[in-house]
Amino acid sequence: MSERGLRVQELRASAGGTSILKGINLAVEPGRVHALMGPNGSGKSTLAFSLTGHPGFKVESGTVTLDGLDLLAISPDKRAKAGLFLSFQYPAAIPGVKVANFLFAARQALHPGDLPPAKFRALLLEKMDLLDMDPSFMGRYLNDGFSGGEKKRLEMLQLAMLSPKYAVLDETDSGLDVDALRAVGESVNAMRASEAGKETGFLIITHYPRILQYVKPDVVHVMIDGRIVKEGDAELAQRIEREGYDTIREEIAQIA
Amino acid sequence: MPSTLERLAVPQHADESIMSRGRRQELLTKAFDSRSGRERPGQFWKIDLDGLDFSALNVAPPSAPRIKAPDKPGVIACDLTTAARKHPQLFARAFGSAAGALNSKFAMLATALCNTGTFIYVPADQAVDDPIEITYTVENGALFPYTLVLLDRGAHCTIIERLEGRTGDTVCGIAEIAGGENSSVTYASEQSLPAETQAFFTRVAAPGKDSSVTWCVAELGAALAVTSVDVAIDNPGVQAQLNGFFFPRDNQHVDLISTIRHNVGESQSQTLIKSAATGHGQARYLGNIRIAPHAQGTQASLRDDALLLSPHAHIDSVPALEIGANDVKAFHGATIGALDEDVIFYMESRGITRAAAEKMIALGFFEPVIERFPTEALRGRLRSALEAKIA
Ligand SMILES: Nc1ncnc2c1ncn2[C@@H]1O[C@H](COP(=O)(O)OP(=O)(O)O)[C@@H](O)[C@H]1O
Ligand SMILES: [Mg+2]
Repeated sequence: MSERGLRVQELRASAGGTSILKGINLAVEPGRVHALMGPNGSGKSTLAFSLTGHPGFKVESGTVTLDGLDLLAISPDKRAKAGLFLSFQYPAAIPGVKVANFLFAARQALHPGDLPPAKFRALLLEKMDLLDMDPSFMGRYLNDGFSGGEKKRLEMLQLAMLSPKYAVLDETDSGLDVDALRAVGESVNAMRASEAGKETGFLIITHYPRILQYVKPDVVHVMIDGRIVKEGDAELAQRIEREGYDTIREEIAQIA
Repeated sequence: MPSTLERLAVPQHADESIMSRGRRQELLTKAFDSRSGRERPGQFWKIDLDGLDFSALNVAPPSAPRIKAPDKPGVIACDLTTAARKHPQLFARAFGSAAGALNSKFAMLATALCNTGTFIYVPADQAVDDPIEITYTVENGALFPYTLVLLDRGAHCTIIERLEGRTGDTVCGIAEIAGGENSSVTYASEQSLPAETQAFFTRVAAPGKDSSVTWCVAELGAALAVTSVDVAIDNPGVQAQLNGFFFPRDNQHVDLISTIRHNVGESQSQTLIKSAATGHGQARYLGNIRIAPHAQGTQASLRDDALLLSPHAHIDSVPALEIGANDVKAFHGATIGALDEDVIFYMESRGITRAAAEKMIALGFFEPVIERFPTEALRGRLRSALEAKIA
């Protein structure tokens, strides 16, 4: 078996004819937390969508492998089956499809037959409790009329229920109040502490380092204008918190 | 169309206890002389409802439907002929009371040729909680079912009408509700006729003061399903609801018109229609809300959503609000669209295949209206029927 990890090499991608990712190199290791930081418009969501196979984004060149498997060659549902998960920045609403039914269908698709409905329900209730979600959520239509915070909690609930090998969280923290932010952070930490989640590699996308106070990153990658321009440890995130992206921009300008 | 008239006369076997042969022939003549009233521009709709040829109809001999009704004191649930013979006064109070005023071609045709039917009577303050189930089966020729419902003051019942067929003969029917003061009725129809059938239905209610009437209309089968739902609100305090859905596939055609007539004020109506089409399925929906000039205090809403699942499918959906009064609350919203790629991608990203995602989205699309149908058993049948259509 080839090298484990979610490995991105020289990835170039475009949308609507505009080149956005200009050669991304990045590797998310199992069991580790990677933060991807960068100002708005730098291409973070484009990377998330290119990894998961959104039809609106075109991969021009480069490779993406998940524990050695070529992700770019397979459909989005197969990428999920391979163990990739994306927490959407803007999750879609599906009127008429109840949260519990959707989650059961997804769990069945990813882990066929591993949980009978009663056990599934018990697990769901347990995970919802962890996220301070009322059990009545199970019967609501997926994201239909949900507040921003409710949508993000639901993304975290799916993360917890689907136990992926690699999870990309696209700005799960943005727009959350302190309580929701803490609930999200605690849910990620609980997952990392669990048997099912201790090997999960995280790519936490954020342009604002707040969430990193709850989930401490092992590696911080900084993306500006479609490129990874800097990498460091948790200290880099703190520096961005203090100084913003301007000093990093200046640094790069000097090198160039 | 005189030749058509001559060829289709009221059959010899027509039952005279419901209506005399002379009256039947009179109505039939009038029906053939009338237009359908359904001509309207539809870009893709190719069927001329006024040009349909009924001359070769083989009208089935009189028959009784299957009726399943809970045993309750004073409640009558029997076939129409029995009702006309045994309960002539009750029968006369209801028969034609709402449909008669419509002057509609298909309602006249259904009445003139009526060869099966059901009479439901619920006496004052009697509540029939378990649904009364009526099944009409097409098997020996064209069927003209007439379901007549009479509720006295404070009466309550739920009716489920099932339409099935072993042959593809034409069906043309009426459901007519006369609701007393403070009564409430839910009437659900489940049309799952064979794929070659042409079906014409008129569903009409005249609710009493402070009463409620709910129509639930599911159009699943038939090659051509033409339906009118009409509620004439002539008393204050009425709560009228119409929940309907249809889903033509292959070459099925559905034509639905609903008309809620707020002739007096202080009443409420809610219309919810969900439609999808796939294959070469074609549909038209015209949702009329008419609020008369003095019908102050009316609250009316109409919501109608259409989902196109194939590039060859078409749905013409038109909400038509005529508002004559100024102190009213009237809302209408209509959407039409294809499946949302972002939603499909979201589901795929959770491991659900594209085909399964499309199916879930389409079934979910109907769910808000299915939830309003009575009984879990009926809702389950409707969901399975939709699932089978999507596959
Ligand atoms: N579908 C699209 N078509 C054209 N340009 C796009 C599209 N999606 C994103 N972009 C552009 O790509 C750049 C990066 O966007 P995005 O990946 O969303 O950035 P981030 O998530 O870092 O804020 C932005 O300039 C954005 O306008
Ligand atoms: Mg983004």
